[in-house]
Amino acid sequence: MSTIASFGFWSFVGIVAGIYTLFALGVQVQFGFAGLLNFGHVAFMGIGAYTMAILVVKEDMNMWAAAGCGVLLAMLGGVLLGLPTLRLRADYFAITTIAFSEILRYVATNEDRLTGGSQGTINLAGIGKTAQYDDQWRSFLGSVESGLHVGGDVAMLIVVWTVALLAVVAVWLMMKTPWGRVLKSIREDEDAAASLGKNVFAYKLQALVVGAALGAIAGLFYAWQFSYFSPDDFAPLLTFFAWMIVILGGLGKAWTVPVGAIVFGVIFAGTRFFDFPPFSLLDSTERAYLRLIVIGLVIIGLMLFRPQGIFGSRREMVLE
Amino acid sequence: MSTPILAVREVVRTFGGLRAVDGASFDVEQGSITALIGPNGAGKSTLFNVVSGFLSAEGGSVQFEGRRIDRAPSHRIARRGLVRTFQVPRTLTRLSVLDNVLLAASGHPGERLSGLLLRPARARAYERKTRHRAHELLELVRLDKHAQDYAGVLSGGQRKLLDFARVLMTEPRLVLLDEPMAGVNPVLGRQLLEHVLQLRAEGGMTFLFVEHDLAVVMEASDRVIVMNEGRVIASGTPTDVRSDERVVDAYLGVVPPT
Repeated sequence: MSTIASFGFWSFVGIVAGIYTLFALGVQVQFGFAGLLNFGHVAFMGIGAYTMAILVVKEDMNMWAAAGCGVLLAMLGGVLLGLPTLRLRADYFAITTIAFSEILRYVATNEDRLTGGSQGTINLAGIGKTAQYDDQWRSFLGSVESGLHVGGDVAMLIVVWTVALLAVVAVWLMMKTPWGRVLKSIREDEDAAASLGKNVFAYKLQALVVGAALGAIAGLFYAWQFSYFSPDDFAPLLTFFAWMIVILGGLGKAWTVPVGAIVFGVIFAGTRFFDFPPFSLLDSTERAYLRLIVIGLVIIGLMLFRPQGIFGSRREMVLE
Repeated sequence: MSTPILAVREVVRTFGGLRAVDGASFDVEQGSITALIGPNGAGKSTLFNVVSGFLSAEGGSVQFEGRRIDRAPSHRIARRGLVRTFQVPRTLTRLSVLDNVLLAASGHPGERLSGLLLRPARARAYERKTRHRAHELLELVRLDKHAQDYAGVLSGGQRKLLDFARVLMTEPRLVLLDEPMAGVNPVLGRQLLEHVLQLRAEGGMTFLFVEHDLAVVMEASDRVIVMNEGRVIASGTPTDVRSDERVVDAYLGVVPPT
């Protein structure tokens, strides 16, 4: 059976799209609702995944508790990032966020004793020993499989998307509240919000922290899905994938995120089937780079013809 | 005389070498409608920004209801009951007209995550009450028909009225209006003026406003403060000020004799 018709392949694409949904939802809260240019979002994913893995392997902690610690630590990371930087102008804030994520990645690469270094989590228990953090996850997934009478991929698909869609609904509900209204007002004009008594800084910090929690949850699923990761998995490119998803789907709405993630995932995976001329002139590694070119072209096309994204509101784009 | 609601003392604010506000002092009396006038570049807008916390004062002090506010951030000043409008209305264009007004409600429990999660019923009840009040205010400024529209579709004059409704939603005690009549058609401007007079009469609200239309200033205000080159050069009743030589000089651009 060819890959394009393989169920296993597409369920993998679906799982990754679900993880991206959670990840990009954080960017949607931070930028789409609160107007924060966070280019270091991948850091929260890394904090969530690494905290969980380290606590399980080194401290023998219950995996669920370790996962909770991962989310909490990512939120704390959001506070620490936000406190000194959120008063900066938007562009300077963007620069410091990308520095934040790169600093963490370099620390993770070099602090082998804490993180396993560039070898990744397999090295967490020390050289010569193979560390695993996901035994508990495997048995959980196994019980989902037997409970629902489905295969492993499908069980993962169901779990990831259940969590992702719950998060989408939660964000959607939050944005309909007066709290969400304040966030949007800050995105529109923070001086106006301040003039009406809103503590702009506190709300930005909250948006950053909520986004950080979502990023960390995505990081946990990433870790569970791949059973192994290294610092290089959390390179800035991943942050920009989240941005692409949010732009593809449309800014300022929660439910556009899963749509953007699926479209992104399909384009990303789909380019590997470009095995007809002229693409067949390229070898498979060269073809792998095509996907970024294709996504770049799609975004350029969107900016030209549908700047609001696939489901964004055109009217909101033209108002001044 | 009671203590002034706003006391500005020797406030200084420079931009590089320019002393935009250069030792300005004045009082605003409780329940008054006070006009702040002066030629372009006199420092009126800078002073507004300092009083409302959008710019820090480099010298001097500002007291609101007897408490120093010159070190307080803008949102805290607004919460204490000193709320401003902007010369160019800061309309939140991609929010509905109604949301613009709802946003201004003060002490809304639904604006805090803790309030939302722990006491959702209370947040909902507050939102209902706020909605009711917002519709009243939109009726007051005749924007009720636009309640559900994006605020971005409003004209410049309508935006001024929306700003005004928004300020009233905060239940302020002192309102700073920055050129409330500029760009508003005369009929709407007249309505706005009547609202100001009515609010003062009924609610005891105090207004301090910058305005270039001297006819409006003379008609509406009880006191006039005149600024020139960053300083207050005269203050008094509209009649006093009109006949003041320094004021005439400032407006005619003649260098006052020293």
